Amino acid sequence: MKDLKHLIYFERLLENADNELVEKAKAEGGICLGYTCFHIPEVLLNVGNCFSTRLRAPNTGSIDIATYYMSNYTCEYARALLERAIEGGYQFLDALIGVDACSMMNRSMEHFEILKVNSNPKFFVTHCDMPFKITDYTVAGYVRQMEAHVLSQLHDVFGVDVSDEAIRAAVAEHNEMCRVISEIREMRKADNPVITGYEFHLINLVSYVCPTKLILPYLKETLEELKKRKPDRKSPFRARVAIVGSEIDDPNLTKLIEDVGALVVSDRYCFGSTPGREVIELKDDEPALPQICRHYMEVSECARYISDEKVLQRRETADRLAKEFNAEGIIYEQMKYCDYWGFERALVSHIMHDEYGWPVLSIDRLYNNGNSGQLRTRVQAFVESLEIKRIHKEGGKA
Amino acid sequence: MAKIQYPNPKFWKAKDNIDWKKQGANLKEVMGIFGEMLKETDWQAFGKGVVDTLKADGERIKGEYRDFMALDNAGKLDRILNGERSLGRLYRKGAMATVRREWRGVKDTAYDFWEWARMWGMLLMTFSKDLIPAMNSALWYRWMISYFCCHGFMDKNIMGLRGSNLRMSHEVTYQIFRYVAENLVFLSKADRKNGNSTELNKMLFTFDEMTMGQIAAGFPDLLAIPHQLLPMFLVSEIDQLVCIPYIDAVESYGLPSDTCPVPSSECGALVIDALPDMGSLFISSSMPCDGSTMASSYFARRFPDIPVFHLCFPVRYLDDENTVQMAAEDIKACIKAIEDATGAKWSWDAYFTAMKRFNHETDLELQKWEINKSARPQFIGPSYELFRKWNYEMDGGIDPRVIPSMEKVNKMLLKAYENGETAWPERKMKYRGIVWSCPAHYYANFSNWLANCWGINILVEMESLNFTKHLETEDKEEALRDLARLYERMVMRRHTNGGYQNVVDECWRQVEAWNAPLVIMYQNVACKNMATVQGLLDEQGRQRGYDLIWVEHDLMDPRTVSRRTMRDKVNEYMRTVKHAEPVDPSLVEFEDEVCM
Repeated sequence: MKDLKHLIYFERLLENADNELVEKAKAEGGICLGYTCFHIPEVLLNVGNCFSTRLRAPNTGSIDIATYYMSNYTCEYARALLERAIEGGYQFLDALIGVDACSMMNRSMEHFEILKVNSNPKFFVTHCDMPFKITDYTVAGYVRQMEAHVLSQLHDVFGVDVSDEAIRAAVAEHNEMCRVISEIREMRKADNPVITGYEFHLINLVSYVCPTKLILPYLKETLEELKKRKPDRKSPFRARVAIVGSEIDDPNLTKLIEDVGALVVSDRYCFGSTPGREVIELKDDEPALPQICRHYMEVSECARYISDEKVLQRRETADRLAKEFNAEGIIYEQMKYCDYWGFERALVSHIMHDEYGWPVLSIDRLYNNGNSGQLRTRVQAFVESLEIKRIHKEGGKA
Repeated sequence: MAKIQYPNPKFWKAKDNIDWKKQGANLKEVMGIFGEMLKETDWQAFGKGVVDTLKADGERIKGEYRDFMALDNAGKLDRILNGERSLGRLYRKGAMATVRREWRGVKDTAYDFWEWARMWGMLLMTFSKDLIPAMNSALWYRWMISYFCCHGFMDKNIMGLRGSNLRMSHEVTYQIFRYVAENLVFLSKADRKNGNSTELNKMLFTFDEMTMGQIAAGFPDLLAIPHQLLPMFLVSEIDQLVCIPYIDAVESYGLPSDTCPVPSSECGALVIDALPDMGSLFISSSMPCDGSTMASSYFARRFPDIPVFHLCFPVRYLDDENTVQMAAEDIKACIKAIEDATGAKWSWDAYFTAMKRFNHETDLELQKWEINKSARPQFIGPSYELFRKWNYEMDGGIDPRVIPSMEKVNKMLLKAYENGETAWPERKMKYRGIVWSCPAHYYANFSNWLANCWGINILVEMESLNFTKHLETEDKEEALRDLARLYERMVMRRHTNGGYQNVVDECWRQVEAWNAPLVIMYQNVACKNMATVQGLLDEQGRQRGYDLIWVEHDLMDPRTVSRRTMRDKVNEYMRTVKHAEPVDPSLVEFEDEVCM
């Protein structure tokens, strides 16, 4: 296939947390709010003149100093962020909106405060409490947290307009971007799609880390380009897989999987498009904030939600996505040392195989995996097993 | 005044419905395993082992006799009256228990044997109330076998103690053992694989071992058992090796080995069906850490017919105004779930009565703290630490028999203080210390060893320092909020959740309050909540000039870090940094790899 016009540009945007569009938005007077977790509604960080950037630590090398503070048995993503922060890599942030959802990420953000890694005079870190299940009172609790720890703080510290109108405006812009991403995502359902998993990963990631208003024109142009793009006559891939699991902000992982012949057709992980790029439908007869909170709770696929219906929802979503996108197998992955996904992956990789009938590859992985030979071998073996299954299904006709 | 009947007599009277055919099949399977074990046994090696043990005993007795005879008359009299000094000789390489009980001097040994007999009497009486299912549990679950060694656990926890501290330790140990014995009988009766009492299961709800028991106070007609406490957590403190098969099972299943062994053991037991199938409802919880939170889906998969209520408390609990109401609402929902599952009704009277007792127990605990903060601490050691944890977390004022016992202990405590006694014999009171982070002292008998070997007196541990505010006992809405506040500050969670201030700043505050500049900093290698503040504690501790002794461990998995390795960390620090001499050199190096 012909290369996408903005592909190299998207790759470049992902090389630094403080990328060109973030700089531009700041220069235009934008307030840059960092966050990591899906539990923080992205739209709330895009009210008024604020814009959000979901934090990554691209090209992470040594994380020795963070390891001194947080030990070596903890999430590498959390440690990589701290290391980058100590190095001064997040000096561009005006605030960090944190959640006390997983302990390691929370501690990482606490270190931002304790070690004073950002010298902006108004810089603050806030920690929100997240519910574990969806009920009327937990939605109300979630709303209170967003009011107290996000909106009020933005208003009090930066004078941001956090009115219902401002929130609805942010949602409208967010929805526009989600529609574009969703339309691109639908293209992955084709037998011989016009977009690879790696390309989609890049497109989706830039939508998380760049100011929406500035990245949107590029996304729209890419969508139009894709509509006209001709696929290769024969797909170079040997199998189609869906990925389910914990945080992946490293597109090289998708590249690694595709390099050994497995086309990634679905991305059900943190930083992926499901959840995250669903349109938020707002009714007029209720304030926007509770509707947004409810939306994020309902679409969340975080393993931290432990109520029975959410546990089932996660399994059903994995099954549905794999079916809708014609995957032949599912890769269940977790970031090493992630307790939530460690327990979830161990159990559900069995369930998806035994009860839902999916071939499953279950892996734990480091933060950066682009060059992992071990992982490459495991995916290769999985691809071969999927091919053999297909041959068996077709009655032995290779 | 009518005699208080606790536990409710109808729990004992509930009829068992044992499926004898199922028991027969299980017995056949167990006998098959025994048969294979007998066949596989190298009898020659076994015989040699017995002879070697007898020879070693003979040598030990000769050695002890020689040492005693080598003493002068005053020394001999001292040994007879005050007991032995070289406790390392109680251990032998390859032995699963100490080689004999400790000689504590005439008076204390006599008292100790009296308590030993009293404990046996209580256990036999309790188990005889429904002996068949209780004993049959041993044929279903390997963890049950380890309970036969509970006296060894008691001995371990009181090693080196004399006088009032010994007496107080025995008193509180009795309370815990009685709770364990009674609940083991109930658990066996209710277990659908075993006693299968439909009647008892209707009156029974279970809850996650990492959840507090106080909610059961409002249901006096119901029995509430922490589901995994007896099969996993508590028994692992008696026998550190007991959970290894469960950890291996779940790791073979796919769980990473970097997770905390507590939820790992629970999930492993569920994977291989080693937990009892009992109760009308299971209350899971979001406490105290990410790993424990996730264990509930393993439970639901193993027991699909038992409904689960997920009791979820805010993590950021210091933000009280914004979070406490949500937690109170969840308690209300939990109460309703219990009512729906069992048909019982919540009783505010029963709840308030129990919480008044709990408030009184809190006062008694604070009195102990006051004495222990002084220059003459009285009641310290593993028995006290375990009791505090159990009383706060599981009993919570529900059992009315506990109050007189606690009052008796406090009376002894005050008297001992007035008489100028010390918690350990004088020579062992050299350093004042506290324990921070996830403690491993029961598994390794560690705080006891610290005192006996190096004279380090652990005055308090992190897990004891929880919620001390009196709970509301009149206003119902406020009572629910107070209960939520209590649950949010359960053991471990009080410190490891809700922000670093609760564990880092709080540590230094407690060091000052207890005048204990030596901190045993337990480092559970799999505890992410604590591992992530390791650098801060280290840095700030050194800035303040405290002695922080980092002791790595892996709770109930001694394969990761052995007990000997744990002790070596202290030995090394005391020798190289403090230039200290051990109080009892026989305890510096000894073999206890397989010793419970």
